[in-house]
Amino acid sequence: MLQAIGLSKSYGAQTALDGLNLEVKPGEIFCLLGANGAGKTTTINLFLNFIEPTSGLAKINGLDVASDALETKKYIAYIPEQVSLYKNLTGLENLDYFATLASGAAVEKSRLVGYLREVDLPSGAEDRKVSTYSKGMRQKIVIAIAMAKQAKALLLDEPTSGLDPKASNEFSQLIRKLAGNGTAILMATHDLFRAKEDGSRVGIMRQGRLRQVLNTDEFGHADLERIYLEHMHD
Amino acid sequence: MISQIAKKEMLEMRRDGRFQVASAIVLGLLLVSLGIGWQQYVSVNRQHEMARAETREQWLSQGKKNPHSAAHYGVYAFKPKSPLSLVDRGADQYTGVAVWLEAHKQNEFKYKPARDANTLARFGDLTASSVLQLLVPLLIILMSFSSFAGERESGTLRLLLSMGIAREKLALGKALGVAGGLGMLLVPAALIGSAALVLASDSGSFVANLPRLGWMTASYLLYFAAFVGISLTVSALAKSARLALVCLLGFWIFNGLAAPRLFSDVSRTVHRTPSSFAFSQRMDGELKKGFDGEALKKKVMAQYGVTSMEALPVNFLGISLKAGEDHGNEVYDKLYSELWDTFEAQNRLQQQGGVVAPLMAMRSVSMGLSGTDFAQFRDFSVAAEKYRRVLNDAMNDDLKNSPKTEGPYMADEKLWSKVPEFAYVMPEVNVVLGQQAWSLGLLVLWALGATGMAGWAATRRLRAE
Repeated sequence: MLQAIGLSKSYGAQTALDGLNLEVKPGEIFCLLGANGAGKTTTINLFLNFIEPTSGLAKINGLDVASDALETKKYIAYIPEQVSLYKNLTGLENLDYFATLASGAAVEKSRLVGYLREVDLPSGAEDRKVSTYSKGMRQKIVIAIAMAKQAKALLLDEPTSGLDPKASNEFSQLIRKLAGNGTAILMATHDLFRAKEDGSRVGIMRQGRLRQVLNTDEFGHADLERIYLEHMHD
Repeated sequence: MISQIAKKEMLEMRRDGRFQVASAIVLGLLLVSLGIGWQQYVSVNRQHEMARAETREQWLSQGKKNPHSAAHYGVYAFKPKSPLSLVDRGADQYTGVAVWLEAHKQNEFKYKPARDANTLARFGDLTASSVLQLLVPLLIILMSFSSFAGERESGTLRLLLSMGIAREKLALGKALGVAGGLGMLLVPAALIGSAALVLASDSGSFVANLPRLGWMTASYLLYFAAFVGISLTVSALAKSARLALVCLLGFWIFNGLAAPRLFSDVSRTVHRTPSSFAFSQRMDGELKKGFDGEALKKKVMAQYGVTSMEALPVNFLGISLKAGEDHGNEVYDKLYSELWDTFEAQNRLQQQGGVVAPLMAMRSVSMGLSGTDFAQFRDFSVAAEKYRRVLNDAMNDDLKNSPKTEGPYMADEKLWSKVPEFAYVMPEVNVVLGQQAWSLGLLVLWALGATGMAGWAATRRLRAE
């Protein structure tokens, strides 16, 4: 569903991403690990076509994102690290607006409320202004947007940073549910624990290069930390 | 989808306290200024109507007197105020609206409110036109400077663009959102303004002014569209909302304060007008040269085939006065058209300013359509002067053909009523549109150019971060 082929991005002499080859299949959760500046967010920005690759291709559902910018966005949903919504609108109004834009037509209110129940937004919160929401609640709105959009792939940028453990756990359950329904998920994260728990595979990045890809069922939590640190030290 | 974007923009505006306060202030000022304009229009019109009837009545009932004395007695002519002057008082303040038409002299206009104004007037009048030309653009800037830049800063732009929405639709939706927000303010104001127009004018003149009103509305809409386009362009290009606001306020100050000052100074330097004193000195000098009385006598005697003045079958005084008038008229025509041509050259130069500041174009169009610009002042002056000559000629003609009697010749109401009352009709809208073609063209260019730029900036230059 998500495919990077020799994907590179450099800014002048600085290489942000260096020849990334990657494929995320439907139902799979792929976690990108790495320090700040390793190229994780660059990868996501390239899939979103927010920046243009220096070389290589980013493909969504077999289509090149650079040449089919609008078409490829139909298949994906994106959850940024700083989940920002329109503060003066309520959660439901935000969901309504984005869902309408994503699907190109108005979505019934009952369906929208249904999505909000599904992501477990506290009852009654949907009619409050988003300015009163926590990050976890805003994230739930964005996941509801992804559901309304019926996205086939999900791009997540540090989704669990700044979440309390309970919110983090709720979030994991939601994305696992989405993966269970066949959504391909690419998640950039610093959270080794969540990567091991939720991910089908993890990729360790450093200085723009994908150094190693591991299947999460082949090692334990402690192993992951050790392998990660090994990559960071040499 | 475009309408959804516009709706959301308007919903956000409605919930934004700053926008509510700002638009309430602008709406309030607009309504107050329309009220003031209406009150002034009604009172000035009533005064004019009374004065017009009075001056005619005085002329007719001046009793028996020599026609030349009657010409000296004179009449007043009043420049009719168009109902649209309640939107834009234009140059009336400075040019004056009434002129005394008498023998020998083309008088200057009187009743220039600017002359009686205190220094506060330098801050500008509160007229609907100044609210529309200055404050509404400011409101547009406040409504739209963060359109793209603010969403980029808060991060919603990334989410928005990840939805896979065409950027031209996004830009159009945002532009319509600003237009809708502005509409919430301007539509009620326009309705109230139109109601004031209906109340202020009798039905005939309201209908007659509809084309002017229509053109005026259209030109203000073009002006506002230009500002929406400029604001969205800057908002899409600027790195931050704050920078966008600073740039836009800079342009607003240039457009509204610096450019008008600059162009008025430049036009006065390039096309110098004589001081009022120098002008009247020169006028007096030219008039004093007079005409050759002896030559006229010879010419008239030859014309009537007589050899002595006593043998003339007509009253020479009438001919001599007519010749005096003709000489004066020649001088007036020459000097006033020189002066007025200079004013017009200044105006033209100021209209060139519309290339860099849309306000200069808007102001010219607005005054033109309100009938308060210099061109229409001149049109009225020329008509009044023509009437003065008709009146004087009638008096001198009568004197010329008067019987030669011992006592002074006296005419009466029969002669006075032969002179028709002065009636002035404002130029048709087509004439005004012709005069304003350049400025109207510039407004169209500004609107098209700015909205085109906004479309280009939003589709080609808008970065997610």
